[in-house]
Amino acid sequence: MSLFHLRGEGMLTLATLAAGQPNNIFLQQIENGITLGAVYALVALGYTLVYGIIELINFAHGDVFMWSTVVTLAVVQAMGLNAPLSGLALVGILALLIVIGMVVSAVLNVSIERFAYRPLRKAPRLAPLIAAIGASFILENVAELWRGAGFVSFPTIFPLGGYHLFGVQINYLDIFIVIIAVALMYGLNLFIRRTKMGKAMRATAQDPEAAALMGVNINRTISTTFVIGGALAGAAGVIYNMYIGEVWFFTGFQLGLIAFTAAVLGGIGNIYGAVLGGFVIGLVQALAIQFFPGGNGIAWSDATVFAILVIILVVRPSGLLGQQVPDKV
Amino acid sequence: MSLQQLGLAGPLASARAWLENTHIAGRSLWWYLTGWRLGLIFLLVAVVLPSLLDQTLVTSAISIFIYALLALGLNIVVGYAGLLDLGYVAFFVIGSYTVAVGTGGILQDAHDNPLTIPTYPFWLLLPLAAVLAGVFGVLLGAPTLRLRGDYLAIVTLGFGEIVPIVFQNLPFFFGNIGMSALPPADVGPITFSDPLNATPFYFLTLIVLVLVILAVTALRDSSLGRAWIAIREDETAAAAAGVNLVRTKLLAFSMGAVVGGIGGALNAAFVTTIAPSDFNFGISITILIMIVLGGIGSIPGVILGAALLRFFDVYLLGTVSNNLEGIPAVATFLAGHDINTAKLLIYGLILIVMILLRPQGLIPDRRRSRELKGIGAAPEDTSAVGLLALEEAGISSVGESAADETTYAGTGSDAQGREG
Repeated sequence: MSLFHLRGEGMLTLATLAAGQPNNIFLQQIENGITLGAVYALVALGYTLVYGIIELINFAHGDVFMWSTVVTLAVVQAMGLNAPLSGLALVGILALLIVIGMVVSAVLNVSIERFAYRPLRKAPRLAPLIAAIGASFILENVAELWRGAGFVSFPTIFPLGGYHLFGVQINYLDIFIVIIAVALMYGLNLFIRRTKMGKAMRATAQDPEAAALMGVNINRTISTTFVIGGALAGAAGVIYNMYIGEVWFFTGFQLGLIAFTAAVLGGIGNIYGAVLGGFVIGLVQALAIQFFPGGNGIAWSDATVFAILVIILVVRPSGLLGQQVPDKV
Repeated sequence: MSLQQLGLAGPLASARAWLENTHIAGRSLWWYLTGWRLGLIFLLVAVVLPSLLDQTLVTSAISIFIYALLALGLNIVVGYAGLLDLGYVAFFVIGSYTVAVGTGGILQDAHDNPLTIPTYPFWLLLPLAAVLAGVFGVLLGAPTLRLRGDYLAIVTLGFGEIVPIVFQNLPFFFGNIGMSALPPADVGPITFSDPLNATPFYFLTLIVLVLVILAVTALRDSSLGRAWIAIREDETAAAAAGVNLVRTKLLAFSMGAVVGGIGGALNAAFVTTIAPSDFNFGISITILIMIVLGGIGSIPGVILGAALLRFFDVYLLGTVSNNLEGIPAVATFLAGHDINTAKLLIYGLILIVMILLRPQGLIPDRRRSRELKGIGAAPEDTSAVGLLALEEAGISSVGESAADETTYAGTGSDAQGREG
């Protein structure tokens, strides 16, 4: 089970696509990075929301994302889809897949919170983190028992083709991915700023005890946070499937780490930071694949992301948009 | 899942009463079976064991010892200092590659041509592996230990992933193929290179393990050990009482790394072929599970955890799955699945079940189980004077959370009773 270098298989499509273009490789990798960054940002939001509210690195979050990719693959296979769709069928199937993915991940995420994290809320800090690692292991290995250890390819259901502008190939799929991701982020922003539950979430993040005294139902608020984080990861899983085209039980571990790095880069606990961090990491990774010194960019791309993580944590642990908050005593 | 619920409390209590009331040479049997006497009994058993077991089991025992060593090393970091290191495998890799490079004597240059380098004896490389791992521990720890604990978990995880990638991607170390290491050179009539007789290597690892047990026991009871425990229990209070946080954490981190390096060196000399794919996150987690299962911070607990998981892994899983393959239904299931997957699934369940139902582990560490019960439970054993001072210094800041923490402790109530 050697992990990180295998990630290249999916990424290879990115690099070869760019290499095959006679046009502007740099701009092309920027375009790839933005698309990839949209997926990272959606997953990073789940980390940042949960960390913001209960100060826990939800280690199982990446695997919650992975379960959306696995279940939606099963749905697509059960429906016997294996060719690009069009018209109403396309809209209907995409909506169905995204809803299924969001529901699967939201239910998983909130169940983990209920059964593994909630009983440990007053425990020493290490305890819920260890429970999260356990949950992650269980999710991964159940998925492996179900789908096997190898990659399973996800059929191309989105219409191929796209626009060619300034030497950059912009696929319809890329546009769709960015639109869906931005729409979800905008919806999240509205939810947190405008709704009563959003207000409760902000209050709980600031001071759970004071929020409880003001009549906020803490358990319900935390559960809602996990539902939202899970749903965003679920949507990310569906678009990731269409983009990378391969489903693997271990995807969640890697993508989860990258998304967590994105959340830390932006300033963990800050939702705008998570979005910014997601796009930055997507860009850095796409550029590193193409331009890494020595030319072996794919093999080094994950090491690059981790190096960034260590550097940010050392130089500016509060992230790009985060505030320096002293530890609560 | 307390002893009462299992209906074991009664029989256990009467067994213990019998042990306490039966005296040999002025001491009760209970006295002989507790503390360092128990360790001595286990050591005697370990010494006679190879003459009773076949070589397969001796080999399993060696791997149990190596993992017990690693678990004790990680326990310094996780159990004593309360820092979560999820990339402990990195130090294992560094130790392993030190021995492979040093004994093999051959590397590759950037154009895949062989590159001959001088070789060194294992006995020199073992301490070198420890030192190198310690140096990397300091290099990684120095910038990151200033951060909060959960960031440390992720940074170490990243480090644990990067180190094998580096050995794989750099041109010198034969990439995916990996490297060969030589077993230790003979010492007088003792030969380590006989593939049919693992007993000398068994005693080598046993000796190193005993030395590490003595070292970690001494460390735990030293002023440094008390500073680690103070940091684990309340960082702010420890700092207020004059503990230099970064320096103390760095010492825990690098000493854990040193033990990891020693474990890696022994491992390379034992398995003789290593490849980057042997080292992954699964190993870091397995070692962590050994600690959580056995009892975070408890030396006998951690060794028991390592023995149980390793025995399950190496011996039981192999034998049981081989025997079960006779049954057609099991055979078809196994043909489609990797038994390793089921194992990791069980590991995940162990982690969650232990942390929820018995967070103090199978053999709890006394002080740690009190901590899990909340500071509200007054300490009975206050012999650690330094700690007492720290607890007093921190009392104002931790007092408010004490009331809540007792609720978490409810499930672990039988630990106190058993320890008396």
